[in-house]
Amino acid sequence: MSAAAPLRPSFAHASEAELARILDFYEVQWRYEPDTYPIGWNLDGDVVESFSPDFYLPDMELYVELTTLKQKLVRKKNRKLRRLRQLYPDIRIKLFYARDFRMLMLKFGRMALLDDMTGTTGQSTPPRPHDPAVSAPKAPVLTPTPALTTVAGETTVPDPVVGADAAGRPAADGEPDAPRDPMGVRRRRRGRRRRRVTADAAALPAGTLVAPVNDARPA
Amino acid sequence: MTHTADLHADIGEVLLSEEVIAAKVAELGRRIGADYAGRNLTLVSVLKGSLPFMADLMRQIALPLRIDLMEVSSYGGTSTESSGLVRIMKDLSASIADEDVLLVEDIIDTGLTLNYLMRYLRGKNPASLKICTLLDKPARRLVEIPVDYVGFEIPDQFVVGYGLDYGERYRNLRFVGVLRPEVYSTAD
Repeated sequence: MSAAAPLRPSFAHASEAELARILDFYEVQWRYEPDTYPIGWNLDGDVVESFSPDFYLPDMELYVELTTLKQKLVRKKNRKLRRLRQLYPDIRIKLFYARDFRMLMLKFGRMALLDDMTGTTGQSTPPRPHDPAVSAPKAPVLTPTPALTTVAGETTVPDPVVGADAAGRPAADGEPDAPRDPMGVRRRRRGRRRRRVTADAAALPAGTLVAPVNDARPA
Repeated sequence: MTHTADLHADIGEVLLSEEVIAAKVAELGRRIGADYAGRNLTLVSVLKGSLPFMADLMRQIALPLRIDLMEVSSYGGTSTESSGLVRIMKDLSASIADEDVLLVEDIIDTGLTLNYLMRYLRGKNPASLKICTLLDKPARRLVEIPVDYVGFEIPDQFVVGYGLDYGERYRNLRFVGVLRPEVYSTAD
């Protein structure tokens, strides 16, 4: 039996893989999407919207959400972030925009690779078996969602609780109201990683109400 | 890289003039001199960007201080570097045990390098370890580190000069300027 390759999550985007390599280089501990925070519930109390920050840096007690989409497409992510901060004021999260990532690449002299790591072209990179081992993910904080697991030598990422449309497809980025953008960016990204939907979420009718902030209760 | 032959032609805006920098360095020097009076101060500078700042700052501190230099490799995305093998390219030349160490930086943005250095230097058991930076770009901070002496907080722009480079150039500018985006947007 050959030696097992180091565990490395399947990053949804090349920019995430690059950030992971940068953090490794500077010996900053990180975990990839270890926690999912519910941020929207229907009137029955079912979670219909959630947010899974890309990285958690345990030494800093900081989440990092990386988005390299164009700024005008980041509005919904900003809204989710505001809601997350309203519901969970104790967590610290930093949103890394496309501009931030661009500056990071500029700083490290990696501008030539930028086009391959941002926006739609950076989606769904293949695993990099030569990368160093990833930090072991911690248990989810609030929902039994994506802990990196290894079964019979295969690395899998369990699916988080997400919303779904009437056809049972996962909502884009977990948002019932998220429109399908012309490039299908979010649908493709989340669809790849979060194919399975919980029975409750899949059964939700289209246009499910999301509880207002004051009524919202974390599960 | 598409820099022009004229050093100044690639600069879109002078952010900090030579005079403004000199005044701030003098002010920092006075503060540090007062704070460290009667103590064994060692200034540790990180090559190469901090070189002009270090050279000016140490001459503004009226104490019998020591200096030392380090060089740390930057992330470049290669597999060698990702393996964590390349780090300290030049280590301290003398022990800093029981010394009051002030790490002198040119700029702090993400804080990644500084975070690494602070952990490394703490392992050498200095009596104290603080940070002095000429420029601080807090908008881009990823790793929060308390900075004791800050010259200027600057906006989130790519700056060069007074030690700061782009592709190893522009360090010799006497001011801090904003590099014209077309210089790096068409690079490589």
